Amino acid sequence: MSDPTDITTEEILSPAGIEEAVSLLANEVIRRCGEDKVAFVGIYTRGVTLAHRVAEVLKSRGRDYPVGTLDISLYRDDFDNLGTALPRLESSDVPFALDGTRVILFDEVIFTGRTIRAALDGLMDYGRPSKIELAVLIDRGHREIPIQPDYVGRRVETTLNHYVKVRFQEDDGKEGVFLVTEPVAETNE
Amino acid sequence: MSELKPRKDLLDIESLSLEEIEYVLENAVPFKQLFQRSVKKVPTLRGKTVLNLFYEPSTRTSSSFEVAANRMSADVTNFTVSASSIVKGESLLDTIETLQAMRSDYIVIRHKAAGVPGIVAQHTRASVLNAGDGYHAHPTQALLDAMTFREVYPDFAGRKVAIVGDILHSRVARSTSTLFHKLGIEVGVLGPGSLIPEGRHDFMTRFRTWDEVFDWGPDAVYLLRVQMERQEGQFFPSIAEYHKMYGMNSDRLVRMRELGAYLMHPGPVNRGVEVTDEAMGYEKSLISTQVENGIAVRMAVLHWLKPETQKD
Amino acid sequence: MARLFKNGVIASAGSSDLIEGDVLVGDDGTAERVGPGIEESCVQPDEVVDCTGCALVPGMFDLQVHAREPGGEHKETLATCAAAALNGGVTGMVLMPDTSPPIDTGNLVKSLQDLVSETSPIPMLASGCLTKGREGIELAGFSGMASRGVAMLTDSDRGIPCPDLLRRCMEYAKDFDLLVTSHCDTPALSKAGVVNEGRVSYQLGLPGIPAISQEIAIDRDIRVAQYTGARLHLQQISTANAVQAVACAKEAGTRVTCEVSPHHLLLSEKEVKDYNTSLKLDPPLRLPGDVEALIEGLLNDSIDAIASNHAPHTEFEKSADFASAPFGVTGLETTVLAIYDRFIKEGAFGWDLLIQKYSQAPREIVGQEFHEIEEGQTADFFVFDPKAETEITREYLKTKSPVTPFLGWTFSGEIRETVVG
Repeated sequence: MSDPTDITTEEILSPAGIEEAVSLLANEVIRRCGEDKVAFVGIYTRGVTLAHRVAEVLKSRGRDYPVGTLDISLYRDDFDNLGTALPRLESSDVPFALDGTRVILFDEVIFTGRTIRAALDGLMDYGRPSKIELAVLIDRGHREIPIQPDYVGRRVETTLNHYVKVRFQEDDGKEGVFLVTEPVAETNE
Repeated sequence: MSELKPRKDLLDIESLSLEEIEYVLENAVPFKQLFQRSVKKVPTLRGKTVLNLFYEPSTRTSSSFEVAANRMSADVTNFTVSASSIVKGESLLDTIETLQAMRSDYIVIRHKAAGVPGIVAQHTRASVLNAGDGYHAHPTQALLDAMTFREVYPDFAGRKVAIVGDILHSRVARSTSTLFHKLGIEVGVLGPGSLIPEGRHDFMTRFRTWDEVFDWGPDAVYLLRVQMERQEGQFFPSIAEYHKMYGMNSDRLVRMRELGAYLMHPGPVNRGVEVTDEAMGYEKSLISTQVENGIAVRMAVLHWLKPETQKD
Repeated sequence: MARLFKNGVIASAGSSDLIEGDVLVGDDGTAERVGPGIEESCVQPDEVVDCTGCALVPGMFDLQVHAREPGGEHKETLATCAAAALNGGVTGMVLMPDTSPPIDTGNLVKSLQDLVSETSPIPMLASGCLTKGREGIELAGFSGMASRGVAMLTDSDRGIPCPDLLRRCMEYAKDFDLLVTSHCDTPALSKAGVVNEGRVSYQLGLPGIPAISQEIAIDRDIRVAQYTGARLHLQQISTANAVQAVACAKEAGTRVTCEVSPHHLLLSEKEVKDYNTSLKLDPPLRLPGDVEALIEGLLNDSIDAIASNHAPHTEFEKSADFASAPFGVTGLETTVLAIYDRFIKEGAFGWDLLIQKYSQAPREIVGQEFHEIEEGQTADFFVFDPKAETEITREYLKTKSPVTPFLGWTFSGEIRETVVG
């Protein structure tokens, strides 16, 4: 895996930029959700971090939304194509009733949309939310299925040779969003 | 993402590395959590087929694999070969030909002859899961036992388990004790001399009486299912004597409570032989947890193994 | 066609020294001249075989061969068995009577002998059953078989479970001076066992055959032999205690001989893994300590003979699971090579010991004459090149059932040719 400091790597969002995008997402949630019963569900790993960050901002503004976690490994449609990778599963944790709740799903990047499709399947096995919306830090385009985010921190123009890398302090020990030009074997989402 | 090499088959415990054991046991936890949901099923193995091939009747193990496969959305075919039509050793290769033609992705096999799952594995692209072969191995049982023990003892290393009963004829004893030993859990054995072979693993400490076992201070007692009559003859005088000497009765339950020791059993239980009815109600019995964990572990194993059926 | 084997060295049972010498084999298959420096110009052979660097070794004799004919021709025939023998430097053998039908009457012995004389270039001596149909119930027809000159009486891979029956066999056989052999097994102890009882049987989860299963049978059979005065030959001894028991019996003057297989001299139960049925032998491979005791017994003459227990089963039959697969592997083509590679090359003993144990003693046990490579005797030797090596492959093996624990092994040395007159 190439390092974000590779020659081919370009920082597209600084730590401050991320903070700005997070607060943008928080503002949008307040604006659109009003007094609805809202819960966040983050997709492992960085979607969970993103959900927590947005929830924190909202908490400081007096809105306390629960955050659940979802590991979508078991819902992926590319089980046969994982090659030699052996995925370590995480415990999905949705410790609140979804029925009648407006659920906002969080992921760090949206690309083809397939991860979100798997997440929707997974989420619906936990209950029947009144509404499901999608929040992402980065929308890099190139959808393969008709799924669009409702909340976007930043839109980025990319080609298929690009790889968008989100790094959070909590998960990775560094902070920033990077555009890697060299294609990497791993899928983006 | 992981330094683990993909594995096609699960045939025994000996060949597993500690990393592989940890991988399966850790992955089993999220699978078990699925059971709390209203929808217990995940689509992971949609379109895959699992063949449950049982040459020895075992409703429990066969059902456990079936439930595990169903919960992963695989299609399951159950194939039980009745005792009267048991396929003779010579035609094993013919049977494998037939299996190969069925194009199953996973073959779960139980056979009375040790080593048969290994032979099947060599001749098929499907992943082979040994569900018990002769006295040799029962790896998923060992994994579910380890998962169960680790749930109650997250600090499992250095803990002690006494396995009681027929060590000679038990694939469960072989696989479970080997796995416990690999995990740093001490293993003691109790049973009549005729059922505790000299060739057993060196790490098995031999006890002759329950008093010796309790003085040793086990954290769990693992009772094996006992059969009095075997093809090779009789190994102890009577069920009554076995029960008196080695069964879990109310007096021994008192000592169990004092020690805070858990009770395990691979099932099905012979009430009145290795356990009394009272002991079955012991508050620290893990027997039903073992059954539940059996499904989770088998899901984790199905998720882990990589069939070569996609290769052509 | 006269052939001159030149520039080789001659091995013998009598000395560990290899003596320089050429051998001229005449048209009639007789070793016409044996000695150093035979000049081509003097003898004018049709062919000169350059044996530089090679040893000429007297042909071997195997006391236990299951040639499977009649009845088991899918596993081996007398013809393929003879080809295998020549490929392995073996020029004579005793055929076990566990064919279908079992050889248990004089007429059957005769018909087998006829078959052998039609097909085999080398002596294949018939043996007969101790009990009818090898069923361990009634005595077989000893006198008829004796009149046909059977080499020994044996129920092959079955012991005689009843000591009284064994006693009658020995008493009866004694009057015909027939050699009685013991399979050295107590069926009530070996039961369904398939590997040595102990660590390996436990770890593989396979039923075990305890050492006492053989040892008790040996003790019993020696006692019965002592009591009846019959001649007894113990087949395939496999444990240290068995060697000890034979040594004691010999010291006491008992008329007892015994054999060991090359497999038990080279392999222990530690080699039995992955349910490899090429290691499923009867008796089973034992402990490393037993292997040492067997080698020691061979050196100190407690053990008289090496016998390969050549027991072909098809690869298909052996492909069954370990418990279901039949016991036995082939040995005619690997014994000399294996013993040379493991022992002679390493200096553990010389060619003389191998010739004594795998040629001289086995012949003498069944009343055959042994000859060194000498002038005037029928040619009966093989040319062995110690500098070459032999990989044991299906192509190398001439047997119909290429199942041996040594498949895929490479041994030092090569049997270039076996010469029989």
